[in-house]
Parts: sequence; C-alpha cells; structure tokens
Amino acid sequence: MSMENRRPQLNLPELHQLKWLLGGLLAFIAVWTVVYMDVQAWLLLALLTLAIPVMTAKPGLAMRVPRWVHLLAFPVLLSVFAVDLLSHLKEPLPPVIRLALMLVLYRVITPRKRRDDLQIIVLGLFLVVVGGVLSVSIVFAVQIVVFTACALLFLLVITLVNGMEEGLPLAAGATPGWMHVEWRRLAHRLRECVDWRVAVLGGLLFAGVVGLSAVLFMAIPRFELGNSLFLDRLITGHTKTGFSENIQFGDVVDIQQDTGVALSVDVSDRSQVPSELYWRMLVLDEYAKGSFRMSAAVKYSIDRVSAQNSRVQGEAPPLANESVWIFYLETGTSRFLPLLGGFNEIAFEGEKEVAFSRDTGLVMLRQTPSKMLAYRLEGMQTGSSLRLPEKIAQIKVASDKQELKAPSLTALDLHADEMAKLAAWVAEIGAPRGSPVEFARGASRWLAKRHGYSLQSEIAPGRAEADPLVRWMDSGSPGHCELFAGAFALLARTAGYPTRLALGFKGGSWNARSESITIRNSDAHAWCEIFDAAAGAWLRVDPTPGSVVVGDPANASKGEAVLARIRDDSWAARFESLRVFWYRRIVNFDQQSQVRLVRNAKKLADERLRALKKTLRAELEALKGWIASPWDVRRASAWGLAAAGIACGVVGWRLAGRGAWLRWRGGRTRGGVDPVRREAGRWLRKISDSEAGISDLACVRTELEKLRYGRSANWPEPMGIFRRAKRALAGRRR
Amino acid sequence: MSDFVSAPVVSEARQILERLRANMRVTIKGKDDVIEQVLVCLVAAGHLLIEDLPGVGKTTLAYSLARSMNCAFARIQFTSDLLPSDVTGVSVYDEHEKRFVFKKGPVFANVVLADEINRATPKTQSALLEVMDRARVTIDGEAHAVGSPFLVFATQNPVDYEGTFPLPESQMDRFLMRLHMGYPEANDELEILRAPRTNYDGIVLNAVADRDDILRLQVVAQQVFIEESVLDYILKLVTATRTEAEFKAGVSVRGGLALKHAAQARALLLGRDFVLPEDVQTLIVPVFAHRLALVRQSPDALEERRAITAILRRITAAVALPV
Repeated sequence: MSMENRRPQLNLPELHQLKWLLGGLLAFIAVWTVVYMDVQAWLLLALLTLAIPVMTAKPGLAMRVPRWVHLLAFPVLLSVFAVDLLSHLKEPLPPVIRLALMLVLYRVITPRKRRDDLQIIVLGLFLVVVGGVLSVSIVFAVQIVVFTACALLFLLVITLVNGMEEGLPLAAGATPGWMHVEWRRLAHRLRECVDWRVAVLGGLLFAGVVGLSAVLFMAIPRFELGNSLFLDRLITGHTKTGFSENIQFGDVVDIQQDTGVALSVDVSDRSQVPSELYWRMLVLDEYAKGSFRMSAAVKYSIDRVSAQNSRVQGEAPPLANESVWIFYLETGTSRFLPLLGGFNEIAFEGEKEVAFSRDTGLVMLRQTPSKMLAYRLEGMQTGSSLRLPEKIAQIKVASDKQELKAPSLTALDLHADEMAKLAAWVAEIGAPRGSPVEFARGASRWLAKRHGYSLQSEIAPGRAEADPLVRWMDSGSPGHCELFAGAFALLARTAGYPTRLALGFKGGSWNARSESITIRNSDAHAWCEIFDAAAGAWLRVDPTPGSVVVGDPANASKGEAVLARIRDDSWAARFESLRVFWYRRIVNFDQQSQVRLVRNAKKLADERLRALKKTLRAELEALKGWIASPWDVRRASAWGLAAAGIACGVVGWRLAGRGAWLRWRGGRTRGGVDPVRREAGRWLRKISDSEAGISDLACVRTELEKLRYGRSANWPEPMGIFRRAKRALAGRRR
Repeated sequence: MSDFVSAPVVSEARQILERLRANMRVTIKGKDDVIEQVLVCLVAAGHLLIEDLPGVGKTTLAYSLARSMNCAFARIQFTSDLLPSDVTGVSVYDEHEKRFVFKKGPVFANVVLADEINRATPKTQSALLEVMDRARVTIDGEAHAVGSPFLVFATQNPVDYEGTFPLPESQMDRFLMRLHMGYPEANDELEILRAPRTNYDGIVLNAVADRDDILRLQVVAQQVFIEESVLDYILKLVTATRTEAEFKAGVSVRGGLALKHAAQARALLLGRDFVLPEDVQTLIVPVFAHRLALVRQSPDALEERRAITAILRRITAAVALPV
C-alpha cells in the first residue's frame, strides 16, 4: 500500500492563491508603516487601504486592468516622481516614499509574476525599514517581525510555485484558473495540508532567531542608527499637535481632543514628586487683537542662544543626592521641552541643537524631533514659583540694528469702555494692592463664581472689534482653561501685575507597572504666571476651577501619596508600560544601562544559584541523616514493598498498560476513529515511512491493515500486533 | 446469509476469482490489470465500457470471461439501422398457438458484448441501457428477466467518430467502469502472433466456475466491510470532483456508490474482508473518469480522457488518506 501521499498537498492554483494573499498582506503591512512617518501621502494611503483588500479578495480584477494602464504606468510614475522630487528638493525622502507607495499600488492592482512578487518584498522592506528608523516606535518592532515572517513564507511559496510551474506552457491573455478564488475552500485546504508539527517548529525557530537577535542587540555596543543613516535629516518633522511658538488662543482645547501619549517621565526619587504637576513648555506674553501669543522678543531670546550641545546648564544650583528625571517626549509633541521648573542640567543622548532662554526658562530644540526624544534632568525645581527676571533684557537684532523691545506685561490694547469694565471688575474683586497672591485668589474666586467649566464654550456674539475675552467675562457662560487663564491675565494686568500665559500639560497618570508618569495630549493645559515683585519671582496661578490657585497648600501631599492619587491600572496603562520598556531598554539604551542590565542579570543568576546550592546541600544533609538513622524490619520492608510496587507498575504498564488503556478507550472515538484504529494507523505510517516491501514488515502490515480498516469483530489481538510492529521496525533500524 | 463474511468464505471467493483470473490469462496476454478490473466489475455486478481501437482484444476478453464462468455469451454488432427489437427481442404471432409469442433477442445472455455501441441510434442504445439498469426486458407489459449474472461489455472506438451517436453523460453513468486495453507488450504480442487461431470462436477454454459461484461472489462482495473513515474518504473524493472548477459537473451519487461497490469487489478479489483506501485509490480513474466532462471540451476524445485522468490523479493526491 502506498503511503507517499498520505498528507495532501496544495496544488498549483492553490499555491498561486496563497501567494496572491501573502503578497497583499505584505503590501498592507508595509504600506501602513507610512502612517507612523510624517509623510503627506494620505490619498495614496487611502487608495492602497481600499485597493489591497479588494484586489486580494478578487484577484480576477487584476486581469481587467486595461492595457493602456500597463503602457502608461512607467512614464506616469516617473514623471509624477520627478515633479514631486523637484518640488521637495530639500526633503527628498517623502517623494521616494510616495514613489514606493505608487509602485506598490501598481503591483497590487496588476497580475504579478515572480519578479513582481520579489519587487513587492523589496518595496515593503524599504518602507518598513525607513519607517522604523524614522519613528523608532514599538509598532515598528512588531511590524518588522510580522513582515519578516510573512516575507519568508512568501518566498517559500514563490519558490514552490516556481518549481511546480517549470515546463508548463504559459497562457497569455486568458484569466488563469486560480484567480477564481473560494477563500473558504482555500482556508479549509490549508488547514488540511499544513503539517502543524512543521509549522510549530518553524514558528519556534523563527521566535528563537528573533529572541537571539534581541539578546545580541542588547549585548553589542550601540551606535546611533538614525544618525548613521542620515534618514531623519531627509525629512523635516511637523508638529502633530499644536505646542509651537505660533500657538493660537484656543489651540490647547484642540490638543486636549487627542488622547495619545505625549510624554513619559521616570523619576529616580519618588518623594520628589510635587503635589501639583505642571509641565511647563512655553509662555505667551503678548496680548493683541483678543489673543495671546509669544512675543518676538521671547522668540528671539531663545533663538539667539541656540548651540549644538549634549548638555544645557540651568540656573538652579546643583544639590547633593538630587533626584534624576528622565523625560521621553513622543514624536511630534513639540520642540519645546516640558519642564516642571528651573533645573541644574539637562543632558541629551548625543548632541542636539538646543536653545535655552534664561529670561523665560524655556528650552527649545531647533526642530521638532521626528522620533522619540529622551532627556535627563538633574536638580529640577518643582515648586510653584520660578525665579526668573520680570522682563527680557532688551535685545538688539544683529541684521538691521533695529531694537527689539519686550512687550509690556501690564499693558492692554483695549477699547476705553472695555478698560473701564475691567477696572470695574478689578474693583469688584477688591484685593489689596501690592499682593499678587491675594489678588490671584480673589480674581480666581470671582471668575469661578461667574463661569462654570466646560470644554465647549461659546463666546457671546458682540461687536466684531470687541475683545472676545472681555465679551466672555461679560457673558457669564462657561469656559475652558484658556478662557479662564486669559481672563485672569487681563484682570491682573488691569490691576497692574505683570502677567503672562503659560502652556503645557497638567497632571498625568502614574503607571505602577513601568513606574513612570504618563502624560497624554488630553492633559494639555493653560495657566498664568504673575510676577511677585516682593519675592522677585514668577508665581504660578491656575484660575481654572478645580485647581489649586496659587502656591502649594500647607498640608499638600507629596511623593508617593500623589502617585497613588494619579495611579492608573487600566489595560491601556499595561500596554503603555510595554512602550516605556521599549524606550528605556531598546531605544534609549546606552552603554551604561547595558552594563546595568548585565550586572542585574548576573546578580539575579548568582542569587538563584546560591539559593539552589543551599537547597541541594540541605536536601543532601537530610538524605544523609535519613540513611544514617537506624534501619528496622518494618522500615526496610515498607521500602522494599514500595520499590516492588513501582517495578510492578512499570513492568505491568509496559506489558499490558497500553492494551488496557485501549480497551478502556474502546468505543470512545476521537474524531470518529476508534483508538485501536488510530494506533494501527500510527504504526502503518511508521512502517510506510521506513521503506515498504520488506518481507518481515509485509506480514505485520497486513495485520495492521486489518486492525485499521477491518471489521472490529475480526480483529486479532491488537497489542500483540503493535508489539510485533515495534519489534519489526526496531529490527529494520538495526 | 448473515452480513458477516467469514474467513473461509473469503478464501473460497478468492480461489474462484484466482481460477477465473488464471483462465483468462491463457487468452488475454499481458493484461493482468485489465483482467483484474473486469473481474472487479463482474463481482460488483456492474457493466463495462471499453474504449479502444479496433483489434486489441475486446471481444476475446468478453468471450473468455463468458467461457471461464460457463455462461451464455452473445454479441450484438451495433449499427445505425439496428432496432431496439433487434436487441431485446420481439413478440411474433404464432400460428399454432394462436397468440403472440416473445422471441428473445441476443440480450438474453449472461455476457453480452455490445460492439461499437455508439454506432446505433439513441433509441436502440437506450433499449440496451434499460436492460442494463433493470436486468429485464418488458415487452407488451410482460417482464422477461435476462440472464443472471448479467454483464454488458460495451465497446466504442475513441478515434473514429464519423456517423456515431455519442452516449450522453446520463447513460455513461450506468457503466460501472470504463477500461481501455491498449496494445500489448512486445513479448506478449509475439506470443499472440505465434498462436495458431485467428478468431474468438477458435478459443477453447474450460469453465472454472459456474453461474452460482458468480452470484455468490456478488452477494459476498456486498458484505465486505468498509470502515467509516474509508467511506468518508470516498465522500471526500466525490465532493472534490463536484467542487473542481475544471469539471462541468461532479460525480453523481450513483458514481460514489459505484466506487464503493468496486472497492469492495477489489478487496474480495485480493482476499480481504475489508476495504483499504488503496482499493479506492486504484479504482477512482476507471470508475469516475467516464462520468466526468471538462468545462472546456477538447475536440480530441483521447486528449480529454488524458486531461480528466490527470485531474483525478491530482484530486487523489490532494485528499488526505485516512490513516
């Protein structure tokens, strides 16, 4: 009986269908890496997202693509690319990515030969690698692993198809039979044909290779992948959200719509976590036309001091045993670095073009980082006041010698009647002059009394030229943080206190798994800073209802208590911790942390080994003691009986155990096949694997066939047959 | 008889079949596989369609079988002017008895060779096919049983189709198997050339079995055990022909039953009381091929036959063996 083809195999059409499916899958994975890059290709992405599933499900459509498409494809793609490249000469990478996307689209909608399939792999690999280098996100790691697995399978299928197709005539023009796909049938056939043992082994092997690569990655010295490839210089980052120097009034609310992570923060000493977390990023000091913005002077004060540096020295003095804060700023959040206050030193990995304004305490990078940025802060002050000068020193612009004056922080360019209204409100608040803290409390109370908090706020309609903030204060309608902060700034300035708006994030959540603070875009916030002339410092004032208005309350909790309050145990947080691990261990992995990791691993291994040795020694001692203890007849006979029992059990099982098992299982079929039949089938398979036609096997084979396919009433004694089969096979092997 | 085949019954059946096989080998040289399939067909109580070129021994094969089992043999040469009554028989008025008397046609035999069946008109063809199906002839409301066992060997020439009426697929379905003999090997042909006789009337063969033996074999074959997973295997093969895109239609239920019966007969022929998947595999082409037609029909019958065989082999390779 021939058993060569006992496992069915996929035929050529089915392999073609599988190849088509895998090609579509690869294209899909590759194309979606572009989403993580900052490339303007939404139309192409939408087209591909639509085309790939449709074409994959209905390969017959590929044959309907008219001939002129094939004729025009090359010149059209080339000219589109040329135009694209010429109009983006400064950043050549996005046009190249768009070209790759167009090529993938063309390959997806047209029938593919072997060469075209290989092209899909190459294009996909290009997209995945570029996406990975640019974003360094954890998604890339997942994507490259899935892509590699798919590509390997794809190559295997291509090779199989190629081998089977050799010598077959090529039918030109006609739709090949395999293009009529019944996916359910294919799935069924795949299930039937896949050797799960081989598949699992293959999967394990692949996992092993990935694991080994990960270990090697951690073990070998690092070099900056992005810098070495210069890829991130071929593309300029655009801020995904709105924290730029051009931020408009009302933008903060837009940022709040996004729940994505903006920042993760590690802190070495948890007791240093302040009761209120205000991640300050930028200040808006100029008020004109109903809107706050960053004045040219502030912008210039930052720009002027930019330099290529890996460290920035701050104003705060160094402290002994100070806590270290490590910030992981997500791609595209901002080029202004979030800080809690003054600092002693910021350190980056490698040199960054960075600017620090001593007048405003802002730190800014030349460009919005196009990949996750990590920076380390030492000596960070976490209080609610900032020791910064009231005004920015007058600056001379080098080019035209024109003097650039800092705007007055108390002046308001408003209508006389609006000024009168503001003055009346300040009088209504009635705080004593010269005490900004008292004024802040009074004004906040006054605002909270008149306005509720709401993200959807409407400013009452009024004269077109009327100031919107004054109109809002007049209306008594609810508002969001920006309106409260803006209104407060107007009131404070009217009262004669220098005031400006500060923007950034407030709060965050404590992820106990990764032991880090996660700040999302939805934590975006606006508040005020009011200058306290007596203390010579800027005080943080948060007039938005529900906040601590000014200063830290006397009995405010700090450290662990704060973290417990903002603790987040949701599934999103668990996933987030994975991401933080990725940043800490993979992306932001310098030699120091490498050494630390190895040391930790060694320490752990040593501890485990010591514990094991100790346990073994104790067990050995116990055994010695047990042997040394006196033997009597009862004890010896009990042990003798136990040993004999075990021996009997082993021998009995070997002689009759399986038979008993089979008899017990008799009639209880699994998958419709009796256990004896199943066992006989197993032996038949083994015999057919070990070359058929040997005379001593032929006899056993007949008996086994009788067991497998014969009437159970006519069965010979199954166990005897199985034993004979075993002996015959063993003899054959010898 | 119980539905239990005892070992002696199987062994006796095997002896009879071995005798028949040996006897037929005397006249049919080097065609053991064809003899085996003819015997399978006989035991499974089916009919045979032999498609081959003229002069390769089709008639000799049928005659040898009839002689070996001591049965009546009849040969009908089908032509376009052959009438149904020429096959089945006719009622004629008997002057002496003063009534219509049924004169039996050539179909009233045990082994009937319907030579070049596609040369007759469909009307005549269907007369024979009705007999094949029911094993009786009904004339003037009266049923007349034909010989028992009853085996029809129909032949047709696959090359010369001029002026023929090809059998429709529904009628092809009534044949258990289709065989083709092919030319013998050089050595066998040399031996044939050496033999003095020239036609089948000169064949002298001893009968090695009788009708009762054959009828008993046919009953025993029906009781050959066929395990559930093997039945499932047959079903999977049948289903695969139905889902195959290149076939116009799949195999009918009758086709599936035919494969089962043929597999049982082969098992008995090889002395087993149970069917192996291998029996099914061996018989799938002769049992299924003539029941199937390609979507894209080929003008050349031989070419089409080859294509169908290739697809069936592919299906067989694709469906998992029940091990």
